[in-house]
Order: sequence, then C-alpha cells, then structure tokens
Amino acid sequence: MIGPGRGGRWWARRVVFAVVVVAQLTLVVRAYHAPQRPFGFQMFPESSDWRADIVRVSTDGERRPIDDGTWEYRWSELVRGHGLDRPDVRHHASAGLDSTLHLFGAALDWVAANTPRDEQTLYLEATVTTWHNGRAPRTVVLRSDERVTAPTTSTTTRTASTTTSTTAAGAAR
Amino acid sequence: MIADLARRWSARIDATVDVRHLAWMRMALGPIALLHLAPFLRDSLDATTYLDSFHVPNVSWYPQLPEPLYVALLWLAAAAAVLLTVGLLSRLAAAVTAGVVAYNLFVSQAHYSTNRAFLLILLLGAAALPVGGAPSVDAWLGRRRDRLPGPGTTTRAWIVDLLRFEVAAVYLASGFSKLIDPDWWGGTVLALRVERGVEEAVAAGLPRSLVEVLADPTTMWWGAKLVVLTELFIGLGLWFPRTRRAAVLVVVLFHVSIQVTADVEVFTWAALAALALWVPTPALDAPAPPAPRWPARSRPRPAPA
Repeated sequence: MIGPGRGGRWWARRVVFAVVVVAQLTLVVRAYHAPQRPFGFQMFPESSDWRADIVRVSTDGERRPIDDGTWEYRWSELVRGHGLDRPDVRHHASAGLDSTLHLFGAALDWVAANTPRDEQTLYLEATVTTWHNGRAPRTVVLRSDERVTAPTTSTTTRTASTTTSTTAAGAAR
Repeated sequence: MIADLARRWSARIDATVDVRHLAWMRMALGPIALLHLAPFLRDSLDATTYLDSFHVPNVSWYPQLPEPLYVALLWLAAAAAVLLTVGLLSRLAAAVTAGVVAYNLFVSQAHYSTNRAFLLILLLGAAALPVGGAPSVDAWLGRRRDRLPGPGTTTRAWIVDLLRFEVAAVYLASGFSKLIDPDWWGGTVLALRVERGVEEAVAAGLPRSLVEVLADPTTMWWGAKLVVLTELFIGLGLWFPRTRRAAVLVVVLFHVSIQVTADVEVFTWAALAALALWVPTPALDAPAPPAPRWPARSRPRPAPA
C-alpha cells in the first residue's frame, strides 16, 4: 500500500538501489564460474603462466608453424594485447588462465576468419602449455573454427571452436 | 533490530545530502579518463583502431560503429573529459565520457580490465551526482551572472551510498576471492608474483638481502594474509565512522604499493579519486537531534535581585 509521500519516486529509488546491488552481487558470484569476469573484481587472481605453439593445418592435413615464413600474415600484427601477440613466449596470465585461454581461443577464431589471403589453411591449432600457480605444466590443444577456404576446399561451413584434448604433461596438480 | 535497520535504511535513501566535496572527484576523473583514453587516441592518430586487429564483442548483437564514427567518439570523450575537469556542463560531460568509455569497454573482450570497469562506475556516478560545484566554470559563471543558477550541490543520499557500495564491492569481492583460494591465502600466488619481480627490484636499487627476505616463503605466507585482510578491511572499514580514517589511510598505502609493483593502468588514481565519496554526508533534512535529558554543564544562574 502506498502511504503518504510514497509516490512513484519513493519506490523508484528503492527499486533502482536494490536492482543495482543485486546485479553487482550477481556479477561477483558469476565471476567464480565464467572465464570472463566483467565486474567480478577478482584482481590478481592467479600467478599462472602460459605459452602456445600455433600451426596452420591445411586441407590436405599438412601442419605448418605460423612463424615458418610461409604464411601471408604475421600473428603479432593480427592479435594485440594481454600477451596474446607473442604466444610462443612464456607469459604471465594476468587475468587468470581461464580468462586468458578463453581470449586466446577467440583470437584463433578471429584470425582464422580474417585472413582472406591465406588460401591453404583449413584451421589453426594451438598447443598451449599452462603452469597454474607454479604447478607442473599441463597441455591443452585449442582449435579454431574451420575456415571457408579456396574453392578446392570441400569444407564450406564453420564449426565451433573446440578444445580437442587435455593432457597432463607433468605430475598431478 | 531488522525492522530498525530497515527503517534507518529507508530514511537514509530519502535523505538529502550536500556533496560539494565531490567536485574534487570530478576534477580528478577528467585526467584519469584522458589517461585511460590516451592509447586509443594515439592509435587513432596512426589510423589504427581495434577493428584492425583481434576483437570480439561481449555479445554478438553489440553495435559495431563505422571506424570514423568510433574515432570521433573517442575524441568527443577526450573533450568531454576536459570539460569534466574544468567543470563546464559537468554532468553532461560526465555522461558523455562514461558513455564512450562504456562503449569502448564492451566493444571487445580484449578491452576489458578491472581498472577500466572501476573508472566507468565512477564516471557513471559523476553523471548521476551534482558534481559541478566550485571550483568549476559552471559555478564561476553562475556567480558572474546572477540570472544563471549555480550548479546544485545537494542530492539524495541513496545515489552516494550506491556509489559507495560499488567502491566497497571492489575491495570486498577481491579480498573474498583471495580468502577462499588456498593458493592465495597460503601465499603461493604472492610468492610467485614477488619471485617474478626480484631481479627487477634489485635492478631498481633495493638491496638483494632485503628483497630475499621479502621473497622468503614465510614472509609471503604472512604477506598473503596481510593483503587479503587489507582488502577486506578497506571494504568494510570505509563504512564505519570509527574505522573510516584508518581505512582511508590503508587505501592510500595499499594503492601506492600496487602502483609501484604492478601495471594497473588507471586503477590507483581512480581509487584515490573515489576516496572523496567517503567524506561524511549527514542528512541535511534530518530532524534535529533530541535535546539532552540533562544539561551538559550547569550554567551560572543569575544572581537573585
């Protein structure tokens, strides 16, 4: 019941206040489960490292490192920031491994979709080594979406990026 | 007790408070926003934007502006940040700056970072609050021309308190996430971070023996607890009058130490600017406090005639 002085503004103040507080708390809780943590405010969450070797896999199955000099593009010109521009160098995952790998996977997809001069590559594959808070290394393989390549290519549809395998390369965590 | 708390909260929401001190936060936010925008503006001078390299929006339907319009918006935000600092059309300037910073923050997941989100929150707060008080061009113009009303300096307390909640949430969320993470609480994360910086610290002139003591696992075990409890103390201590001064001092020390040891872009400056929010804001329209039941001191009585 709306009493004296309890008009629309009286309620609006309370509703806006409550909505913002609940939304902020939801984002904080969500940050524990999502790879990206907008407004989750988990600063310096880890002290983990990562590095990756990327190869181009052509339609005939040939695998070539992206830095062997045969590619029409340079990775560091296509992907910038967050240490993603030099994946071959061991980097600190400043926002945490989940977040970094999520972004790196998206970068693989973006590069696969935005390199039209490359008529050979079917997809990009990255072998990523991670060190979670100083523990033994683990290896994850990330694969980009398949590209719409030259007319000779039979594949014309794009698939979702997939993590193809996860293997513990060292001792258990 | 709950009913009493609810009644007090309800009264606080409707209270009117004076926020003229937030002019100092407004003046600081302009340069901080410019500092944040600087790399994007520099790239735009080289005809480079996020569209030229990897970017991925947070949601697929996020509007992608044409490059010239995006660049124009960046420069508009820079101009608005200058207006914000000098206090000309302050709230509009804050709203424009906040809008562009928000667009740029979400246009690519690669643009997101905590310090930028924190800056955005403060800019939104500046747009919602009457931060145009003196010293500002608006106030000066208002004084020169009597016909123009000066910028208001009072507002409803709930907006200030909501912004305070957001600021406190940053410290509490960060501290709590570390508290429940065994690697953080146990000192592993901090030790690895310090280990990374040992050679850098020695090169910067710190004695190696001191650096090695600081990097010692036992020191790190205690250091991690200090960091976690510091963040939690800030998030809670700022709310209470008895602990607020100590919390403000801890905020300054905490952020200066972070600034020295890590690359956090504008986080330090934004956090220091946000301290203006914690200046006490008693309700202007609160009923007068009840008269004491007994005189505080006995007054001299007039001598009988």
